[in-house]
Amino acid sequence: MGSETRIGVFICECGSNIAGTVNCMELMEYAKSLPDVVCVVVNRYTCAEPGQQEIRRYVCEQDLNRVVVAACTPKMHEPTFRKCVSDAGLNPYLMEMANIREHCSWVHHFDKAKATQKAKELVKSAVARARLLEPQKELEVPVTQAALVIGGGIAGIQASLDLANAGYPVWLVEKAPSIGGIMSQLNKTYPTMD
Amino acid sequence: MMDVGRHPRIKLLTYSEIEEISGYIGNFRIKIRRKARYVDENECTACDECVEVCPVIVPKEHQMGLASRKAIYIPFPQAVPSAHLIDIEACLGFDPIACSKCAEKCDKNCINYDDKDKIIEFDVGSIIVATGMDVYDPTEFDEYGYTRFENVLTSMEFEILTGPGGVTKGELIRPTDRKVPKSIGFIQCVGSRCEKRGNPYCSNVCCMNTIKDTLLLKEYYHDIECKVFYVDIRASGKGFEDFYRRSKGLGVKYIRGIPGDIREDPKTKNLILTVENTSKGSIEEHELEMIVLSVGLVPRYDSDVIQKLLTLSTTSDGFLMEVHPKLTPIDAPTSGVFFAGCCEAPKDIKDSVTQASGAAARALTILSQDKVKIEAVTSIIDEDKCTSCGICADVCPYGAIIVDKKAKIPAKVIEAACKGCGTCAAECKFDAIRMRHFSDEQIMAQLEAILEENPEEKIVVFACNWCSYPGADLVGISRMQYPVSPRIVRTMCSGRVDEKFILHAFELGAPIVLVTGCHPVDCHYIDAQQWAQRRVERLWDKLERKGIRPERLQLEWISASEVGKFVKTMEELEEMRKKVTREEIEETKRILSKIKK
Amino acid sequence: MIEEADFKCLRCGHEFKAPYEKGKIEERFCPKCRSNSVRHIKKKL
Repeated sequence: MGSETRIGVFICECGSNIAGTVNCMELMEYAKSLPDVVCVVVNRYTCAEPGQQEIRRYVCEQDLNRVVVAACTPKMHEPTFRKCVSDAGLNPYLMEMANIREHCSWVHHFDKAKATQKAKELVKSAVARARLLEPQKELEVPVTQAALVIGGGIAGIQASLDLANAGYPVWLVEKAPSIGGIMSQLNKTYPTMD
Repeated sequence: MMDVGRHPRIKLLTYSEIEEISGYIGNFRIKIRRKARYVDENECTACDECVEVCPVIVPKEHQMGLASRKAIYIPFPQAVPSAHLIDIEACLGFDPIACSKCAEKCDKNCINYDDKDKIIEFDVGSIIVATGMDVYDPTEFDEYGYTRFENVLTSMEFEILTGPGGVTKGELIRPTDRKVPKSIGFIQCVGSRCEKRGNPYCSNVCCMNTIKDTLLLKEYYHDIECKVFYVDIRASGKGFEDFYRRSKGLGVKYIRGIPGDIREDPKTKNLILTVENTSKGSIEEHELEMIVLSVGLVPRYDSDVIQKLLTLSTTSDGFLMEVHPKLTPIDAPTSGVFFAGCCEAPKDIKDSVTQASGAAARALTILSQDKVKIEAVTSIIDEDKCTSCGICADVCPYGAIIVDKKAKIPAKVIEAACKGCGTCAAECKFDAIRMRHFSDEQIMAQLEAILEENPEEKIVVFACNWCSYPGADLVGISRMQYPVSPRIVRTMCSGRVDEKFILHAFELGAPIVLVTGCHPVDCHYIDAQQWAQRRVERLWDKLERKGIRPERLQLEWISASEVGKFVKTMEELEEMRKKVTREEIEETKRILSKIKK
Repeated sequence: MIEEADFKCLRCGHEFKAPYEKGKIEERFCPKCRSNSVRHIKKKL
């Protein structure tokens, strides 16, 4: 990988969720003009397998070293796209998302021109950030192979049994003197009447 | 239940409360207080001889006070562990001179008045929260006379009254005359689906529970008259609609309308209920011998304890909030923590069990691995710039920074303990702390990009990753609309929002800057949020001294569920933004660039 | 020491008095518009 920054921008239409409000073609043309952006791709669903495949393909073919995904909130698909770029051989922290759905197309549904303008700026901001991203190494920690279940009602009982039957030690902590919870107070229960 | 008690891999700690949880995914350290039972749990055979001699009688919680128990008791016959305990508040034997009847009677010497609470500590890799819910108390619906009329019961009390373990051995009798009622009415949605009283949400289980009750009644007492007063019957579940049809087929009358009031006939103790039958459009009166209020479910009274211990949030209904309501409904925002059952939302047994198995499977995705990766958002100290002033160590909520002020040894970060809130980086006066993945340069570059063109049209919003950013997401998911001016910049915590970010935004021409984050009680980094508040308060004074209107820096705590507050804030700030003139912005730029020089 | 102090809401301009303890941080909101942009007005000496 050379020292020059090569950013790929992947715009998601999210069916009509984004494309119904934001003019994705206009956004694509705009993104091309941003510094260090070497390719811009519009997909119907970037998170779907074909969309992810495109990212992996462009990372390899275009020798990308940064990826910007303009789609939904990172709270939803940041792990998805981090894994995707990582599969393509890029450090997962070199991927940045622009939230043009929850923070743009869905909340400015009736002003398509302004929403498109805002989406451009969100992508611009993401590209600006992406240029300065650095690869990060995640700390790996050992796992204590035991679980704590808090509450001994029907849910806590079921979860404890499943975990214990899978072979792991379980600590089941219940505040009351007996497990059983509300369930133990009920008479017959629907839909089986037992 | 028995299976849990017997399972070789389940360590059951009843009568126990969690005191502390520390650590992180894969490595949680748990501290439990095991309350004294005063009866040896392992030796007790639940023979009940102690109970016979105990002179103290108190209401029995497990039967909602519809039965009584002694001071030494077993919660219910099938209890696990199958052992007695002493309610020490009620027991006279705490002073063995006053009474020690149970201890004298117990041949196995299981009873120990000197028993003490025990602290137990252990490590786990994953946590499942299954803390359940409470049942709504209908007292505030005074028109139904729950506190005035004995023959008005809640559905939970009805459950106990008809249960085989109850005082009547399953026989349904009405409280005033101990006779089987000839007619019974059920009022639905008590405390549910009401904006003014109780709760606005649907409690999910009450319709089906009432239908079940009517079927049971019709099975045991063929000629009992059953009437159900409802708004809608929600029977959406496998086989549920059949259940509803069967109930109607057995002659249960379903009357669409919620009663306005209940009176009691002083002689017969019968109840007269007035209702607008909305199917017929008529006002009707019904005389019934007993009425059951089908009460909803509410978050547990003590759910805030677990919420604080695990830094969780709640949705507007008070139940614990999941990462995503549709796609990640089992995961808590804290990694390694999962939800099962009603702590997350009201649900019936089938859904609770389903979610519990789901939570177990989610927990297994962690437990089945030898190692897990922790997100690389941590702080790094630049030892050359560090002056060992110690501020970073003071503000770190996790004690993850060590610094020796006297020996002037530069600060050091314990990476595994650092959770990446970034408060240390924001508070460091010497730029000696760098946040991985949320560096000063990265955030400044975002601001520059946002404010490069027409900055006067923008509102810069800093939003924390756990509350305000997902709150803004939920506004979108809810398809609520707000002005286009806000530009949201994500940081892990509001504590990360450095003074220089805010000043830089003003310098670049931002008319309004808003700092948002979790409410203090919800802060995902224990109390890092407070540093954002302190900083903003400091900045208000500073801005005023410099001749910049402090009003242009705004502060708002917006939780992940407060969509209404988010939209209202954006609308208000848009009005404020319009009043900031170009001249004022230019003046601010001049003032700030002068300071820099 | 808890004392009565002056506060001003930087959102709606409402001025009000509320208990204040120096150094203590708590969630403050304007009694009129509920905003958290509430500023403690220090007395000028």
